[in-house]
Amino acid sequence: MSAPIQTRDKILDRVRTATKLVAKGPAERESAYAALPREYVHAGQLSRDASIALLIERLREYDAEVVECAPAEVPAVIAAQLAASGKHTFVAPAGLPAAWLAKGFDWKLDSGLTSAEIEKAEGVLTASFCAIADSGTIVLHHSATEGRRILTLLPDWHLCILYASQVVETLPEYFARCDQPPALATYISGPSATADIEMTRIKGVHGPRFLHVIVVHD
Amino acid sequence: MSHTGYHPVLDPTHAAPFPKAVLPVLRNPQLRKNVAHAIDVIQAKRGKLVAEKTDWQELRTAASAIRTHALENLDFYLEQFEERCTAAGGTVHWAADAAEARQIILDLLREENASEVIKIKTMTSAEIQLNPFLKAKGIRAYETDLAEIILQLGEDEPSHIVVPALHVNRSQVREIFSRTMGLKDLSDEPRELTNAARNYLRRKFLDIPTAISGANFLVAETGAVSVVESEGNGRMCLTLPRTMITIAGIEKVLPRFQDLEVMLQMLARSATGERMNPYTSLWTGVTPGDGPQKFHVILLDNGRSSILAKKTERQTLKCIRCAACMNTCPVYRQTGGHAYGSVYPGPIGAILTPQLMQMHYAQTLPFASSLCGACYEVCPVKINIPEVLLELRSQVTNIERKHLSRFLDPMYLGLRIANLIFSRAWLFHTSQFFGRFGLGLFTRKDGWIHSLPSVGGKWTQTRDLRGLPNQTFHGWWAARTKEAK
Repeated sequence: MSAPIQTRDKILDRVRTATKLVAKGPAERESAYAALPREYVHAGQLSRDASIALLIERLREYDAEVVECAPAEVPAVIAAQLAASGKHTFVAPAGLPAAWLAKGFDWKLDSGLTSAEIEKAEGVLTASFCAIADSGTIVLHHSATEGRRILTLLPDWHLCILYASQVVETLPEYFARCDQPPALATYISGPSATADIEMTRIKGVHGPRFLHVIVVHD
Repeated sequence: MSHTGYHPVLDPTHAAPFPKAVLPVLRNPQLRKNVAHAIDVIQAKRGKLVAEKTDWQELRTAASAIRTHALENLDFYLEQFEERCTAAGGTVHWAADAAEARQIILDLLREENASEVIKIKTMTSAEIQLNPFLKAKGIRAYETDLAEIILQLGEDEPSHIVVPALHVNRSQVREIFSRTMGLKDLSDEPRELTNAARNYLRRKFLDIPTAISGANFLVAETGAVSVVESEGNGRMCLTLPRTMITIAGIEKVLPRFQDLEVMLQMLARSATGERMNPYTSLWTGVTPGDGPQKFHVILLDNGRSSILAKKTERQTLKCIRCAACMNTCPVYRQTGGHAYGSVYPGPIGAILTPQLMQMHYAQTLPFASSLCGACYEVCPVKINIPEVLLELRSQVTNIERKHLSRFLDPMYLGLRIANLIFSRAWLFHTSQFFGRFGLGLFTRKDGWIHSLPSVGGKWTQTRDLRGLPNQTFHGWWAARTKEAK
């Protein structure tokens, strides 16, 4: 495709001409970037317990259900949540601990499930990468325990396991936790919602309508 | 004829000038009520959430600096984005204008044998008028954002960049949905209407293998693309199809992943008054086994590089499309978005649209402002919109100055005469004398002029004019000095 390459060079030429008085060379660009003002709040002020309390408050404002438990209780609490949901068929990423997959339910582990198979599931169980208390956000990087993106999208009910040690207070603290920028990430702040009709907030448009979170005090 | 009672035209090359386009809106009390209600709700939420953020001004400073830095070094960051995105399995295309972008998209869709495509709300696709083009080529585009569905099915046009259907109320949505989806018993409960949209789209998400999106941010460091949304329709389009096509303006690039920590704190707060929008997605090229296995990004210039070349106007490109400027604008509040004759309404539209049109069209938009400065105050990336408005006004005036018709325009003639008089003291004093005499004929006993004949009536039609005082300042000063002696 020769024409598009011409277009590319034409656009970049125009951009270079447009910025020739302000653009910087490689070394100055790096130092100019490093010198950009970043006086905003980076680290949070709250204690760990207060951060977790704030996160739970935020999640509940979003109509998410939150329960807390100790590490040893996780399998039992998961089983109780699943039972209370009244649902039977669940999908889960293949990397979850076997103990989490409570008996008595129909589990489909994701090793290349089709969208039709995932669509049939009533709920999904996953771990998470991190959570941000300030905005009540759950972060998924879609690892082997967090699942492919489709897994937390099609089922209507999402049960997410979050460890207290994964909770940060501010968004910049999450970015500081990323050693490498993730290739895939989804930041979930409450269940799918819209306010497009007269600004009335309606929960549940296309994503899961029900978000349940188990906060594990590790 | 749509439910608005008029046909909105959002193509600046065909749209009526703002003062004319605004008339049908001003005569539509229902539409004005809908707009005012929506804006009141957003403003109340936004005010509360911005106030709780103690470092809001520091975030604004950082966001503005990051965007300025990215624009000043745009060639480097664009090339870096292209290189990293390509390395991650994406294909980067470049489009100099709207026609090129449309053609690239059409070619990609033909390669996929696509007769249908699902879309995430993207203002850039509206800017290049993609949907009518695809329709003419026999490809059906399904909008998936609730507001966009309302507009698409109601054959209406967006009037806001974040909540595009804010001018439509629930009973109008009920009418549109029940007519186009064949749902006779639909109520006007927002919950039921939302459910109707969910059902309408569910199969389309699962069955249509090609999707088109815009981008909120491109990350040069990693080649990643980010989309910010609420409903999950975005995630559906980004995850389920086989092929994903993203169209983004060249200005959307951020230097590094970490810059999102600033932008994401501001965007939802500023746009919808939320601490964070329900879903933010980030993806990098193609991930084996997860999501679309073919990914294309189209980088669109369409007038942006010429905006970049101008010192005062360059800041227009810092915009992150939060719409806070239109929500706070006293003009937008009265007129809604359609009168702007562009997919970008409000204060940002008033500066962006004429510039994208290379000042050939939309010349009335820079004047659609009271210059009160509220837009600058709320802008999360500190775009000094009034400054750009003034610059564009002077450009428009310079263009119009050359028009022959200008010499017959009463206002222009009046200003020429004023110029002559104000630059000569003796003429000024003489005309003051005659002015006092002439206007005295129209001044009532209360010291006010309530009506004037001819051109002067344009003023007194809507407001009174104070009569000239019996003594001028010069006269008073001269008398005072004389007395002191």
